[in-house]
Formats: sequence, C-alpha cells, structure tokens
Amino acid sequence: MMSVKINKIKRTDMIRLPNMLDFYPLEDEKSTKISKFFQNLKEGKLTTTKCKSCGKLLWPPRIICSECSSENLEWIDLGVEGELYAFTEMKLGAPLGFVEDCPFCIGIVKIGGLLISTRIDDARYEDLKIGEKVRLKIVELEDGRVFYRFYKVREQ
Amino acid sequence: MRKVAIVGGGATQCGKREASWRDLVQEAGKTLFQSVDNISPKDVDSLIVGAAQPERFTFQAHVAPMVAEYLGIAPRKVLARTELMCASGQAAIRYAWACVATGMADIAVAFGVEKMYMPDMAEAQTNMTCVLDREWDGVNGLSAPPFFAMTAQRHMLEFGTTKEQMALVSAKNHHYSTMNPIAHFQKEVTVEAVFKSPMISPPLNLFDCSSMTDGAAGVILVPAEDAKKYTDAPTYIIGSGQANIGNVINGLASLTEWVPLKMAVEETLRTAKITRDEIDIAEVHDCFTISELMEYEAFGWCEKGKGGKFIEEGQPYIGGKIAVNPRGGLLGCGHPLGATAILQTLDILQQFRGEVQSGRLVKDAEIAVAHNLSGPANVHSIIAYSRNP
Repeated sequence: MMSVKINKIKRTDMIRLPNMLDFYPLEDEKSTKISKFFQNLKEGKLTTTKCKSCGKLLWPPRIICSECSSENLEWIDLGVEGELYAFTEMKLGAPLGFVEDCPFCIGIVKIGGLLISTRIDDARYEDLKIGEKVRLKIVELEDGRVFYRFYKVREQ
Repeated sequence: MRKVAIVGGGATQCGKREASWRDLVQEAGKTLFQSVDNISPKDVDSLIVGAAQPERFTFQAHVAPMVAEYLGIAPRKVLARTELMCASGQAAIRYAWACVATGMADIAVAFGVEKMYMPDMAEAQTNMTCVLDREWDGVNGLSAPPFFAMTAQRHMLEFGTTKEQMALVSAKNHHYSTMNPIAHFQKEVTVEAVFKSPMISPPLNLFDCSSMTDGAAGVILVPAEDAKKYTDAPTYIIGSGQANIGNVINGLASLTEWVPLKMAVEETLRTAKITRDEIDIAEVHDCFTISELMEYEAFGWCEKGKGGKFIEEGQPYIGGKIAVNPRGGLLGCGHPLGATAILQTLDILQQFRGEVQSGRLVKDAEIAVAHNLSGPANVHSIIAYSRNP
C-alpha cells in the first residue's frame, strides 16, 4: 500500500486583536462621525449630543436625533462628577482583554441627567456605596485611543 | 389567519457536551423526526433556525441551510435564521408560527441550537460581552452577570429582597431538573450550596447564574386543522406578546421594574383570551435567580417588590399558586441560547401529554406560557400554549 504523508504546516500564532475582539470603539474621523466625543475626552470633558430641535438629550452621542430625525445637534458637557446608582465587581468570567484586570468594579453612574455604565477604578466592591460621589477619569490605550472611567472620590 | 399546533419535537442531551455544533444539530434532528410517525424531513417545507452566535462560537454563518442539509430538509417555502440572543429560539417559533398561520408554510420546523463550550472560556465570555451595546456598555466589562448583579442590588435596596430568597429559586429549579433527564444539572442545590458557590459578580454566586450549555432542539408546526393527522395530543399556540424598550443602559425603562415584560404579559393575556390565574405552567426565563423573582412580579402573580416573599411562601412550586419552571428552568437545564425556547416549548408539550416524570408533572395542566428575556432585559417575548384547540 502507498503510504500517505502527514506534513506539518505553519500558521501565524495570533490574529491581531483589534480586527476581531476589541471592545473599544474606533475613534478617528475616518471611522466614526462622533469622533468629537473622543476629542472632547482627550481634553478631559465627558460630553454627549443634545437635539436643538426637540431638546432630547441623547446617549450615546448621535448624528441624527432618534426622537425627531433632526441633524441639528449640539455637544453638551456632562461634568466630571457623578453619583453611584449601582455597582458590582467582575470576579470571574471576564472577556479577553479584561481577564488581567480581574477583579474590577463596574457601576452605573448618574451624571448630567443620564445613567451610564462605566468601570469604577481605584476601589474594591467592599469600598463602594450606592449614592456616593465618583469622578471622571480618562484612560488612554496603547495606540492613543481614549475612553472614560470613573473612580471613587476619597477624603483627602 | 390559521390556528397553529405543535405536533412533535425532539432535543439533545444538554450540558458540556463532547460534541460539535453539527453533532448537536444531527442528534436533535433525529429525535425530532422520531417524535412524529408520519412526517419525514422531506415533508417539511419551511425551516426557521434560532441561533444566537454561531459566527462567534463556531465561526459559522449562513446556518439555516446547513441545518436543513444535516436534517435532510429541502425547504421550498420559507428558510431563515433568527437572532434575538437569549430569545433566538422563541423568535424561531414565532416566525414559524406566523408562516404557518398566514399560509406561507404548511409544515414548518422551528429549530434551535447553540454550542457554547469553546477551548478558551475567556473567548466564550467575550462573545457574551457583545450582547449589550458593545461600544458603550460591553466595553466596561458589562456582560450578563454584572448587569443582573446590579439589577439584584437595586432590587434588594428598593424592596428588601434577600439573597436567601434568590437562592430559593436556584434550589427549586435544580430540584425539578433532577427529574429532567436531558437537563444539564442533575443534582440538588440547597440554599446553603448557593451561598458557598464561587462569587461571580456580587451579589450573584455561581448557582445564582444559568450556565453556558451545549444543546439543540426542534419542534414541528402545522395548521391546527391538520394536527390530528400527526398526533392525538397536539399543543396549540393561542397567543403571544413581545415588547422592547431601549437598549443601552440609559435607554432602559427601569432596572428594577421590567416594563416591557408587563406589556408583553398584557398582550399575551389579551391575544390568548386568558387570565393570568388560568396559567397552569409558566416556563420563564430564569437566566439569574433575580430574574425569576422579577418575573413573578411582572406576570402579576404577586405585588411589585414581593417576588422574594412569593417564593418564601411556596407559591411558585407545583401545587402552589402557579408552577414556575417545572422543567428545571435555565438554572437547572442550562441555557443553550438558541435552543432554550424550543426546549421550554417541547417540555410544555410533554407536560400536556403527561410524559414527564411524576415528581415534576403538573397534573391536568391546560394552559402554559413560555417566556424569554434577552439582552439587558429590555426585550421580553412570550408565547401562550393550550392543550385544547
């Protein structure tokens, strides 16, 4: 009988993360029409869009108002201090890219009339209380993209 | 519009299976066609496949024709795949139902499948973290356990719900699943065991959470007028309701009151022409223990905020006010996303036929509902079933 050969083939070990599984959005003008949000973040400001036609505060930022279809939107500064509405801690079950951060706190923060989810840095679950003040911080990724988080405000 | 009946169905063993996505499809297909004597795959003219994330879990898209090929079905009227995350299977039943009701289809299979165990658990968790708005919520690590953990935290704060009350849900559903041979989990879980299980996302321990599960299931739908040709005991679809409010956290109606579920319940009762007290079996979406407590409230079986007390009083058990999850729920049976709603429906059919183990049989049950929530509980889907035409 003819023998059939087994040949080993070589493949690249890794698929580059941003192509498939990057949780952080693409922020530049070529990738999104709300790149202004990220430019504002780089200046330390958490902002969103508000419709100048119907007055609706929109989160996340839009390019067209989902209430009245107007494109006449303005950027609103949400401020830097929020109130903790709910929180928990990711102890087990983190996705790729966040496994190294475990455990980390996640919260829902009341700010500028919105309820937004966010990482809560510089605290463990036991340190946090509903209703307490949290403050904006900006994190910068290795490629220069930025995102918002909050941290627990501690007495000086 | 024609009335529609389910005349048979089949499912795989659910669990952490040493089997591929394709293996699961074939196993469920075989039991499906064994369940009805005189319907063969070639008689089926339409197929709707509920599958939440085959692209991510098994790197396969365009799955409806693949299921058709493996099952030996050659669809000639309607073929599609439905995705509504945890309610993908219910979406499949809803569209198969609509197709048969309108005459677009005559013999339709609603199928559901999910292969969730992957070599790398973190990759599976990654898939589950793009369910919520990935750029604004998922990016913060917000997958289902932390979301429902915060829901539980607020419910405990606002209504005094306790972890013990939540654990009772897990104990109840695991108890029923010990009597369900295809359930993922076959062991009793005590309240104490829930507290001792690993903390996932406080206040939720591991046994407060339904699991990743591999499984597949299918049911066959035909016009009600034809149903007796295939079985003496069809199950009839009598109504439904579905509602959605918002998606990103800020868009939700409320964290602690599931307004879209209340809307879906009212629509279900209206279309099925039943009252909430006429429901004998409720297969509700207990993805987490807190979910089931909030479902007692939204279905109106108890007052808002009293879900914990409702189970403490023994009401959601067989023999209580309403038999909730006598199948074993998602907590006991596992949660193979696309297959879950099909599994619920199949169990209701078997309950009506008296084919389930006596310890979890709801005697003389005539009306049942199957409920699924999806995403951050912003979407709720319900179908009502009856033993009578």
